[in-house]
Amino acid sequence: MTETTYLLWLLLIPLLLSLLAFVARWFGALTRIIVVLAHLVSVTLVLVLSVLTVQAVLGSGRVFGFSGWLHVDALGAVFLLITGVVSFLIGLYSIGYTDQQLRTGGFDSRKLSTYYGLFNLFLFTMLLLVTSNNIIMMWVAMEAGTLGSAFMVGVHGDRASLEAAWKYLVICLVGEAFGLYGTVLVYSAAFNTLQVPANAVLWTEILKNAQALDPAMIKIAFVFVLVGFGTKAGLFPMHAWLPDTYSEAPSPVSAMLSAVFATCALLVIFRFSVITSIVLGPSFVQILFLVFGTISVAAASFFMYVQHDVKRLLAYSSIENIGFILVAFGLGGPAGIFAGLLQTINQSLVKSLLWCASGNIFIKYRARNLERVKGILQAIPATGVLLIVGALAVVGSPPFNIFLSKFLIVTAGLAAGYTWLMIVCLLLLLVVFAAFFRFIASMLFGEKPQDVAAGESNWLTLLPGGVLILLILGLGLFIPSPLTALLRGASGLLLTGNAGGQIAVTDVKDFLLPLARLLR
Amino acid sequence: MSSVTLVNSLTGLLILTSFLVIEVKQPRWSAVMYSLQSIVLVGIFIVLASATHANELYLWAASAFVTKVLLVPWILYRALSQVGGQEQPRNALSLTLSFILAACAIAVSFLVVNQIQLKAAEPFKPALAISMAHFFFGELCILTQRNLFKQVLGFCLMENGSHLTLALLAFNAPELVEIGIATDALFGVIVMVVLGNQIFRNLHTLDTSDLRTLKG
Repeated sequence: MTETTYLLWLLLIPLLLSLLAFVARWFGALTRIIVVLAHLVSVTLVLVLSVLTVQAVLGSGRVFGFSGWLHVDALGAVFLLITGVVSFLIGLYSIGYTDQQLRTGGFDSRKLSTYYGLFNLFLFTMLLLVTSNNIIMMWVAMEAGTLGSAFMVGVHGDRASLEAAWKYLVICLVGEAFGLYGTVLVYSAAFNTLQVPANAVLWTEILKNAQALDPAMIKIAFVFVLVGFGTKAGLFPMHAWLPDTYSEAPSPVSAMLSAVFATCALLVIFRFSVITSIVLGPSFVQILFLVFGTISVAAASFFMYVQHDVKRLLAYSSIENIGFILVAFGLGGPAGIFAGLLQTINQSLVKSLLWCASGNIFIKYRARNLERVKGILQAIPATGVLLIVGALAVVGSPPFNIFLSKFLIVTAGLAAGYTWLMIVCLLLLLVVFAAFFRFIASMLFGEKPQDVAAGESNWLTLLPGGVLILLILGLGLFIPSPLTALLRGASGLLLTGNAGGQIAVTDVKDFLLPLARLLR
Repeated sequence: MSSVTLVNSLTGLLILTSFLVIEVKQPRWSAVMYSLQSIVLVGIFIVLASATHANELYLWAASAFVTKVLLVPWILYRALSQVGGQEQPRNALSLTLSFILAACAIAVSFLVVNQIQLKAAEPFKPALAISMAHFFFGELCILTQRNLFKQVLGFCLMENGSHLTLALLAFNAPELVEIGIATDALFGVIVMVVLGNQIFRNLHTLDTSDLRTLKG
């Protein structure tokens, strides 16, 4: 199989199996088994093909397909890896979650078919977004992802979930309209500059000719892009939809939205930021990133402190983590970007773990608020362990992965001379720590409610969490060399706009040296 | 009248029709006004096509006629007719305040567009500024209207703004680009209307101020 065929199958498999899942509602008694099998095959093959594509990118630098319309470079490969791994694990978790919903009457065969049809359709749109080299298609994929996932958010059909779905749809579509306007401006600027105007739609071609683009248009376009796709990523103050949507959607859907969709929205912002940095110099983009990143971290930290609902807490934590990624990119330089990309991977894994844990809590307690959810260690001790590890990891405790990436971000910030900003960020992290500690202590201990029987739902609601713990711990202790190579390639691309660009950062020790110099 | 002047003047009609979409009392008529606005948009595409000899624009005009003049208004008219007996939610802003905000949007758009140095955009700068202002009108409509389906129309206005900007700046763009955007916008309207209907069936309201279970 060639690299181009990987891309073809990567897109076709979830699309076709999504159609099968939709059609399977008319298969009577066989519906459940066919839908679940189709889903399992889809997420497994997507994982395998994602890894194979990433491997090909590591070998040859980039992979193209369909006359350049599809394209995976080192930057795309980082996000493809996240999409492949998280979709597989959350896909497995979904099977356990929906099985439980079927037993308690929350789902019937029809709803199951809709759910898995939409899940795989959504996966297809995310893969299209990550592999697209066509900037208009990138936007189309983003919009299609929003439209598909809106029904997943409102799948329960009750008042709160329908409200959440409407809010999600309207705010995100407005955001995407901004994104479209920005995309149209970039396209128009390129269209009037490129020698072959038909190529103006290809990101790689726009990048090659970026020097000649009209600076005023690119400046306006980037503001539209950041506001538009930043809405999807959940940046403050465009985040209003996010806590409602993440808290009302089924947990696996929240996991996909938070760990995959929001992350992929960042990829689009980064793709446009490379072009903008070449046209206007890096400072314009960096200032915007630092401003939006810092206010997102600050607002989310304080909102987290006043929450009483575990899923809303996780939603605000998601905003905080995305904010941190932007701060890292705003610092600029190889160290900041390398650390920001590492944080992107790490937060996706930790978020997935925490959403799995919150799903198990909801299955058991039928509630998410602090008043009812108590005594988790008595009722569902294994989920309790997932929750403890997830919480420790997300606040940045060693030896877990987010400690490493946040440590690298702070080090990069200090080395770049942003001492006060880093002090503010560290203080905000203390608020985050306090918010999580208050929550976790209250939920884990105490007496479980009388009507809650002890015992986990099924092993499939625990297995993905177990795998995620291993990944989170592993990445906290060391970064495997293929991943370092990928991150170096992606950072080089973001810094120079050159796909073959590599940065001097090779390992964690490159961050420790400037820190040591500073401390001396 | 030269084609350039004609295009710039026709965009003025877009502002007028936008106001009609937003302010007309009967929501059903908003859908009709939107169709009227789309006819103006199609007209602009045709004038632009003949002025610039960009044959692609005739195709754009044809697809915009099918989706924006016929399909989207029809979908919205039907949806709004089904809930005709409902008491109409009031707007969040007074008419005067809406006018002031719209004037601000136009002023900001002219200032922004003025910075653009692109040669191709030079003759159409007024139209370009209005297309950008139009985009903001759509957002204004979403922010100020409490009827779910009128918010959908706000989305349509925003989309018309981007569509016109694209036509003015890249009139030779391949038809595929335009089809991608137009189809996605059509699906956007369909999904919003389906969800809006689901909300009306289950919660018996179209007023967004009744949707207050969640805190944001």
